[in-house]
Amino acid sequence: MGAFYCSVCKQTFFAGKSHIFGKKHQDKLKIVLTKFLDKVKEARRMLKAPAVEKYDVTEHELNLWCYCCGAEVQKHITNGNLTVLCGGLLEHMASPEHRKQTDRFWWENKADSKLKEKFLFSEEEMDRFKTEVAKALESYEEKEDEFIKQQASYIREVEQRRQEVMQSTLEPESESESPQGPPQCGPPGHIESSGNRDNYRRGGAGKRAGPSGADEFEDSDWAGGGLDLTFIGYQDSSSGGNVHTGATPPWLKQDPEEGGSGTQEPQAGPSHEEFLKHKEQEKLRKLPASRVGANFDHASQTDAGWLPSFGRVWNSGRRWQSRHQFRAEEGQGTNHKRKKHEPWKGSKKHKPADS
Amino acid sequence: MSLFLPKLSCKKEVDEVIKSVAEKVLVLRFGRDEDSVCMELDEILSKTFHDLSKMAGIYLVDVNKVPVYTHYFDISYIPSTVFFFNGQHMKVDYGSPDHTKFVGSFKTKQDFIDLIEVIYRGAMRGKMIVRSPIDPRNVPKYDLLYQGI
Repeated sequence: MGAFYCSVCKQTFFAGKSHIFGKKHQDKLKIVLTKFLDKVKEARRMLKAPAVEKYDVTEHELNLWCYCCGAEVQKHITNGNLTVLCGGLLEHMASPEHRKQTDRFWWENKADSKLKEKFLFSEEEMDRFKTEVAKALESYEEKEDEFIKQQASYIREVEQRRQEVMQSTLEPESESESPQGPPQCGPPGHIESSGNRDNYRRGGAGKRAGPSGADEFEDSDWAGGGLDLTFIGYQDSSSGGNVHTGATPPWLKQDPEEGGSGTQEPQAGPSHEEFLKHKEQEKLRKLPASRVGANFDHASQTDAGWLPSFGRVWNSGRRWQSRHQFRAEEGQGTNHKRKKHEPWKGSKKHKPADS
Repeated sequence: MSLFLPKLSCKKEVDEVIKSVAEKVLVLRFGRDEDSVCMELDEILSKTFHDLSKMAGIYLVDVNKVPVYTHYFDISYIPSTVFFFNGQHMKVDYGSPDHTKFVGSFKTKQDFIDLIEVIYRGAMRGKMIVRSPIDPRNVPKYDLLYQGI
């Protein structure tokens, strides 16, 4: 009859559909249907009492596999902010395509027909569900509003208590001072409540023992110790001008103690030559350390008889010996005295740097 | 043109130059200004002087004025060019008998530039003898005789 894949057994059969009547298929079918039935029962429960919740990405994006249709179905319905639990599944189960598929599934797999009803939902049930959902949404919104109002009142309470504490600490100080002028405004959001606070504080100050002339002072910010500062006298700047008149600042003026503009002011930092030298040194550091003559002392003072390290043409032995040999030959040429040629002795006297 | 190349006329000056030229190849041309081959070489040296200014310093030495070095470097043919780097003498194998100096003139400016570059790179890597990149056919031939024998 050809190849036939049974999704319940997850096997390919070549001998037709007779395996369906066998024990293994029926067992597997029972397990599959039981698992599926649990989920459907949960949905049925939701049908009577729909639950609406705030949308949570981690939890509400589930998909269910519907065995009848052989397709994935979204479990919950969401509009971004709120979720109707199991809404997706219920809608799918009520659809006519699902009904057809369920029938087909039952016929093909020869399942127990009593169970079939449990997997189907009728249209009336869906309508009922929808009304219930609407009601649930309303109540959810009401609850949300309630919650927000509670939060707001709590915040207001806390703010008020804070203001009281502030005022109570300031009141003893403000008793010993003359009124400071118009009261300062707090943050604009509290303007209406500051009016209340004002009255409250006036009342509170009245209760305390002390002069009431300080009532005008309202300061919600820290005074900065302004009441205890040391006075050091009026600064007379009529001779030289000050920052308000736009005079030259002292650090830009010439120092009157030093003698005129002829003397060099002590400069901070390295001089120009030192800087150039430093740049050269930086460049040197970048050169490979193994280059020829890396340790050659360029500034060494040498005498008149100095000769560079040169491997001569007709000499035997190492490079540095050639100098010695040369000197020997020269000496021989002028003095006619045969100097001992000692190749193992190097001319260490005249070596600035040698290999 | 060769008037622009610095000339050294006494041993002291040569010593100074050898000691002072740092991190660059020092090119000392030993010869005479009036000699024709010397003039050819001087031409090439002066034309490339500016381009090689960061890699090499070029100086002319008259062999009559500094006999000490003429003997020390065994200069028998002119022009002879000796190469130093950081006070160290650089030997170059040109395919000729004498590796301590370059005898004669260069065929093209590019030959000279290549040679300087090879010497510079070798010196930077610590090599005191390098192999010349010049085609041996372009290197002047001469006989190296020991003391005229």
